[in-house]
Amino acid sequence: MTINPDEIIIFQWAWFKVNATLLFTWITMFLLAFGSWLITRNLTSKGTLSRWQNLLEVLINGINGQIREVSRQEPGPYLPFVGTLFIFIAISNIIAVVPGYIPPTSSLSTTAALAICVFIAVPVFGIARRGLGDYLRQYVQPTYIMLPFNVIGELSRTLALAVRLYGNMMSGTVIVAILLTITPLIFPVVMQVLGLLTGLIQAYIFAILAMVYIASASRAHESRKDKGEK
Amino acid sequence: MIDWYTIIFQIINFMVLVFLLRHFLYGPIIRTMDEREEKIMRREEEAAQRQREAMEASQTYQRKTKELQERTDEIIEKARVDAEEKKRAMLQEARLDVQRTKKLWEQDFERERNIFIRELRRRIGEQACAIARRCLSDLADAHLEELIWAQFLVEMGSFSEESLGRFSDAVVTADYVIALRSVFEIEENRLEELAATLREILPEAGDRIRLIVEGDPDLICGFELESGGHRVGWSIDDYLNGLEARILGEMDEPMTGTEVLGDGGIGE
Repeated sequence: MTINPDEIIIFQWAWFKVNATLLFTWITMFLLAFGSWLITRNLTSKGTLSRWQNLLEVLINGINGQIREVSRQEPGPYLPFVGTLFIFIAISNIIAVVPGYIPPTSSLSTTAALAICVFIAVPVFGIARRGLGDYLRQYVQPTYIMLPFNVIGELSRTLALAVRLYGNMMSGTVIVAILLTITPLIFPVVMQVLGLLTGLIQAYIFAILAMVYIASASRAHESRKDKGEK
Repeated sequence: MIDWYTIIFQIINFMVLVFLLRHFLYGPIIRTMDEREEKIMRREEEAAQRQREAMEASQTYQRKTKELQERTDEIIEKARVDAEEKKRAMLQEARLDVQRTKKLWEQDFERERNIFIRELRRRIGEQACAIARRCLSDLADAHLEELIWAQFLVEMGSFSEESLGRFSDAVVTADYVIALRSVFEIEENRLEELAATLREILPEAGDRIRLIVEGDPDLICGFELESGGHRVGWSIDDYLNGLEARILGEMDEPMTGTEVLGDGGIGE
């Protein structure tokens, strides 16, 4: 039983190899991009909406609402990053019910890559919003002694994010695999359904946590500014 | 477990996906939603604006209606006052008209009465003269005129000092011209007779008196001397005056008076 899709090599040329993780990631990416293009090429702002447009609007609105709730800021700049995190993970986990499809999120490499993206995005958004000096200053708050702890906190946060997603996805796959050996009929289907739920929840948690980190990096400024004004 | 090769590719993949979705999904959807939101906002604003306008129009109409009502009331009130005034004026005019008509009628009546009385007096005089003439001619075969003349001369002789004095003054003022008035024909000898009498009663005038004869149909059965606006004389008039007073008294009692007169003993 192969658990790690990274190890399934589909194509290799010199150092360039395409493993299952990359392949299914690309498939997912293609589905998302092509689907979006199909739907959004004839959007309308008046009259009745098409079913798909309505679905997308509800989705985007929901994400925007969540971002606004968590960050207390306008969701505009965060939407592409956070929204893509959510949509990519959710779609990957949902299509996992298709036989033969291995969700890229069940590879630690993917979850680590996403976590690293968050790890990079947090300072990027923070600096974009607050400026470099202001952003860096938070690492020595309240004193310089706290600097290593702040850095460790930042790193461990990223690691936890990666492992959390991986663990959950992984566990789903592993549980299905184990149950298949014990009760080959019916019960795995129930687990698959449960997998859909946990997949969506993971997507939600991952996106929300990413947003929380980003918001905490860009919001400290706001509260300090408020204090300064007072 | 950690495959750095895959991780790097996945990071790149994720970046590409972010870009793709940003281009194909978020951009258009957000744009569309913003457009729609703006449209709805605009529509709501328009609706609010229209409602405001409608409100204003409604208020304007209400105000106008109120003004109109007030003006109507005003006009009605004014019309009422005007009508009242006009009524009063017309009543006043009608009253004046009635008074004027009454006055005219009274004047007419007065004139008619006067005419009637004068006529009556004349007829009574004539009748009285006729009766007297008849009586006199029947009884004494005397000429009535002569009797009247004689009486006139007698009356002339019996004038009081006071009236004679007044007449004398009037004669002097009129340059001694004395007019003799009568309905009768005056004969020459009578004029001389009168002149003699005048010379007697007005000795200071003497021969300077000049007599003029004037016919006067109103003077019934009598003679009259007039000089300088002063008159003296005798006629049945004096007697008729008493009769006239009585008749006038009866005339004031409208119907019965007339009837009495109609039945009265004037006779034809």
